[in-house]
Amino acid sequence: MQHDHGLTVTLEPRSTHLHVLSVAGDLDHHTTPRLRAALDELTLAPGNGLVIDLSALKFCDSTGVSILIAAHQRAQEAGAALALAGLDPDLAHIFSIMGLDRLFSFYDTTEAALAALQ
Amino acid sequence: MRREEHAGKEPDVNATDEARRLAAVRRYAVPDDPGDGALDRVASLAARIFHAPIATVTIIDDEWVRCHAGHGISARLCQTRRAVSLCASALAHDGAFVIPDASADPRVSADPMVAGEPGVRFYAAAPITTPDGHRLGSVNVMDTRPRQAGVEELDALRDLAALVMGELESRLATSRIVAAERRQRADAERLARILQRTLLPPALPQVPGLHAAAAYHPVSADEVGGDFYDLFPLDGNRWGFFLGDVCGKGADAAVLTSLIRYTLRAAAVYDPDPCTVLANLDAVLQQEHAGGVTPPPYCTAIFGVLEPGPDGFTVTLAGGGHPPALIVRANGTVEPLHPDGGQLIGILRDPHFAQVSTRLNAGDALLLYTDGLTEARTASGSMLDQEGLAAYLASTAPAGADDLLATVHELITTLGKGVSDDTAVLALSIPVRSTTVASREPCAA
Repeated sequence: MQHDHGLTVTLEPRSTHLHVLSVAGDLDHHTTPRLRAALDELTLAPGNGLVIDLSALKFCDSTGVSILIAAHQRAQEAGAALALAGLDPDLAHIFSIMGLDRLFSFYDTTEAALAALQ
Repeated sequence: MRREEHAGKEPDVNATDEARRLAAVRRYAVPDDPGDGALDRVASLAARIFHAPIATVTIIDDEWVRCHAGHGISARLCQTRRAVSLCASALAHDGAFVIPDASADPRVSADPMVAGEPGVRFYAAAPITTPDGHRLGSVNVMDTRPRQAGVEELDALRDLAALVMGELESRLATSRIVAAERRQRADAERLARILQRTLLPPALPQVPGLHAAAAYHPVSADEVGGDFYDLFPLDGNRWGFFLGDVCGKGADAAVLTSLIRYTLRAAAVYDPDPCTVLANLDAVLQQEHAGGVTPPPYCTAIFGVLEPGPDGFTVTLAGGGHPPALIVRANGTVEPLHPDGGQLIGILRDPHFAQVSTRLNAGDALLLYTDGLTEARTASGSMLDQEGLAAYLASTAPAGADDLLATVHELITTLGKGVSDDTAVLALSIPVRSTTVASREPCAA
């Protein structure tokens, strides 16, 4: 599969306790450190909610899967909630084969995820 | 002291020296001339400096004077036997060598270029000398009238010979680099193949009442993939099998694959319950990573146990984040065998594993595969998926493990560039018992 190792990560606070992290481009072993750094900068407090918007994600390899799992564990440790939004149907299918549908809550859109975390 | 250049006593050529010189000639005999005309330009420059009609670049082996470039003469014409060659006479001289009138010099008058066409009279040469002092041949200038050579002309001729040596050195270095790169590439591919073999069983064991076949379809020849499988005896008459895929590729993935293979076999000896085997593998992978900074390594796998029954086997398998196994029944229907909700192995806290059982009767076959197959893109650009694979198997109705593998091979070939990851396939089938009994000859009374 062709991918150009481009990844942009944008953090947008939506309220005092809700954050949206938009991940666009290719999430692979070259670009994963960028998402890791963004997650490290984020302080999650008990009761906070984080939506990771993956609607512009073009590619995700095994290291991308690892970092999303790590994000889930961090949120869990902090007593915060994590939701994934806008997952491409193929990727959603692969995630469900990996049994990750038992771990993450998936939502079609960021707004739907925010509403659920409200 | 300046050496006498015009003539001179021929020094005795020591046989050992000549053997070393020939070794140097062979060393610099680069088979593929780059075709950039560098030596031809040297020859024409030499002719121009001397205002002479003919110039050549020659290398001398044990029998022949070989012409590598020629100006004013075809390279074929100036290729002569060393014994009679004008150019061979230059070999015995350290510096530039000049013969003002060859027809009057008994040492060289036998050369066909002197005796016949084009009737060479004047000859000047500078040796092409290796850094360790072996003279490989010379840059030669010839004229059809007798004459003298100027000091500056001879200096320029020596410089041209040094240029030729430099060119040969760089060709040798280039060919060595190319050869080294070829060797390294071949080594890397060989190592990858050896490593791949250690990760996969050399041959599947013979299981009574079962037909087993496996294949590995790599995407790249020199990159070790992380797919693995095995089939091995358990206690009593039970058999264990597994197939899986580790995250990543290359050396790290190979190390992880090896750890997983041995852990699965050891865990199965300890307690062959499929869920327990996967839970033990998960614990080992988590421990392996404890405290590590890199993302934790993980894998997906199916582990199963085969228990023989009256007309086949009972198969119980557990899955950890792996695409479902497919059963091709004797009647051609294809059904997934998928424990509900098995999760990735080695990376999650308290992962969930589940198992499922079914009967495999005569004519039934079980197919395990890695996601290189189901994540391949079809001509329409969509993922093949297990539905696509199941539909393909239903349409081709393979009978038995070998046929099943051949069908998958055909599918992978059809998908071509749509396949972007390695695929391992393990097929297990229950042969249909032959009903024809060989007729026996009646015993002679």
